[in-house]
Amino acid sequence: MVTRSAFEAPPEWRARRVGGREENSGHPLPPGSVLKRRWWWRQRPVPRLTSAMSSAAGPDPSEAPEERRFLSTAEAAALERELLEDYRFGRQQLVELCGHASAVAVTKAFPLPALSRKQRTVLVVCGPEQNGAVGLVCARHLRVFEYEPTIFYPMRSLDLLHRDLTTQCEKMDIPFLSYLPTEVQLINEAYGLVVDAVLGPGVEPGEVGGPCTRALATLKLLSIPLVSLDIPSGWDAETGSDAEDGLRPDVLVSLAAPKRCAGRFSGRHHFVAGRFVPDDVRRKFALRLPGYTGTDCVAAL
Amino acid sequence: MSGVRTLLGLGLLVAGSRLLRIKSETIACRSGPTWWGPQRLNSGGRWDSEVMASTAVKYLSQEEAQAVDQELFNEYQFSVDQLMELAGLSCATAIAKAYPPTSMSRSPPTVLVICGPGNNGGDGLVCARHLKLFGYEPTIYYPKRPNKPLFTALVTQCQKMDIPFLGEMPSEPTMIDELYELVVDAIFGFSFKGDVREPFHSILSVLKGLTVPIASIDIPSGAGTQKMGQGRLGPYPPDSCPHQV
Repeated sequence: MVTRSAFEAPPEWRARRVGGREENSGHPLPPGSVLKRRWWWRQRPVPRLTSAMSSAAGPDPSEAPEERRFLSTAEAAALERELLEDYRFGRQQLVELCGHASAVAVTKAFPLPALSRKQRTVLVVCGPEQNGAVGLVCARHLRVFEYEPTIFYPMRSLDLLHRDLTTQCEKMDIPFLSYLPTEVQLINEAYGLVVDAVLGPGVEPGEVGGPCTRALATLKLLSIPLVSLDIPSGWDAETGSDAEDGLRPDVLVSLAAPKRCAGRFSGRHHFVAGRFVPDDVRRKFALRLPGYTGTDCVAAL
Repeated sequence: MSGVRTLLGLGLLVAGSRLLRIKSETIACRSGPTWWGPQRLNSGGRWDSEVMASTAVKYLSQEEAQAVDQELFNEYQFSVDQLMELAGLSCATAIAKAYPPTSMSRSPPTVLVICGPGNNGGDGLVCARHLKLFGYEPTIYYPKRPNKPLFTALVTQCQKMDIPFLGEMPSEPTMIDELYELVVDAIFGFSFKGDVREPFHSILSVLKGLTVPIASIDIPSGAGTQKMGQGRLGPYPPDSCPHQV
């Protein structure tokens, strides 16, 4: 058999479909040859019209609407709905990808080799909703990454996803605190950093109950680094109006795309984490996301 | 015969002390210089290069691999969706490290992902989706699709991301060599037993004739997990070894 380099280009007179476009190197066909349509050429799905393209009075489809960098709370919910309903992603998949990417973001902001033993201890504070679930996944991946997470998860959700994620953490010997000291100095001394996974966008602080609210009050006084997942808990997701007397995280890890209140973030690092938004969805929401490099699931802003 | 084959295992997900201790049992292969050698994997500083280079990689027998799986599902309450997502993501990451887009001749590089009828196929579907996000141009061949929500959802995710599904398998290796720069074998995994039935027998025959590289998810499909030399893909090339990503 003729050995050929794997990277040798195919004979130039054959046009081939790449990405739905006919590609032809421009060389003329040898006389008498017939350009055969390969039977296995991919059956591409009919391109779907985006809402911008389908509206009759809409803008010229060749001009992308001006892209922006932040999502409102309603848009974030709509994007999630599109992924869950149209794309048939499972909530578990997305939570897993967000939690894993959040853990990777933590490792970028606080690389393990530079940390002392004490600094590797991480307190992950989880609320009862989806933000908390992401925190549980994040804690588990931090454990795999050889950090030493401890979880404070006072208001445990009864839904199956949260229960399973809790079991996974328990079985990996990640301790769960039964109470959080109100004396912040105790936290500063026991841990190297804290991950705030209490409240996500669209969840009112009043909805989550006493222990979480008290935990947030304590975290406001923290002197060790604080990493907030998606939005700093307690901030208004639209306006960031609690930015002054709310949590002041050092690191913000926006999940999938930054929310509006991220505009008021003034800490050290802002990452976008969770590389799963398909290009079509990104364009539909006119989102400009930072460029991820290589196989990274986290990008710094 | 064929290009370098890279074997990719499931990501090592659980490091806790409660994980069943697996006594290693080697799948016969010769260890040699490997592309993953002393390089540090730089995704989040996950593994120390020292750990990678010095700790012997444990090879699992089929029973042990199944036991690990059972423990993860039953004791740790992982769901298939979760593990499959992590496995597919890890495999896509490994492939992208082994065959970075900049080293491939086409832009975007074209990849053919062949998915089998079980969980290995599901891993392949997830892998294809992440490869698309990483800037590759995957195409999937998925002839036997289980009628389960997990798999139909994964197919939908790929379709919605404009990843084409082939109607038929190219019948000659040269056809694949011309169109694709890399093939991902996600046909059979570690629980495979018995004879290879059609259409996979023909598919494996075609793959044996490829010159482009093949990356196999978990094990080279059809290879006996216990014995060497019975591989339907032919004798193992001696420079490849299964490993955990």
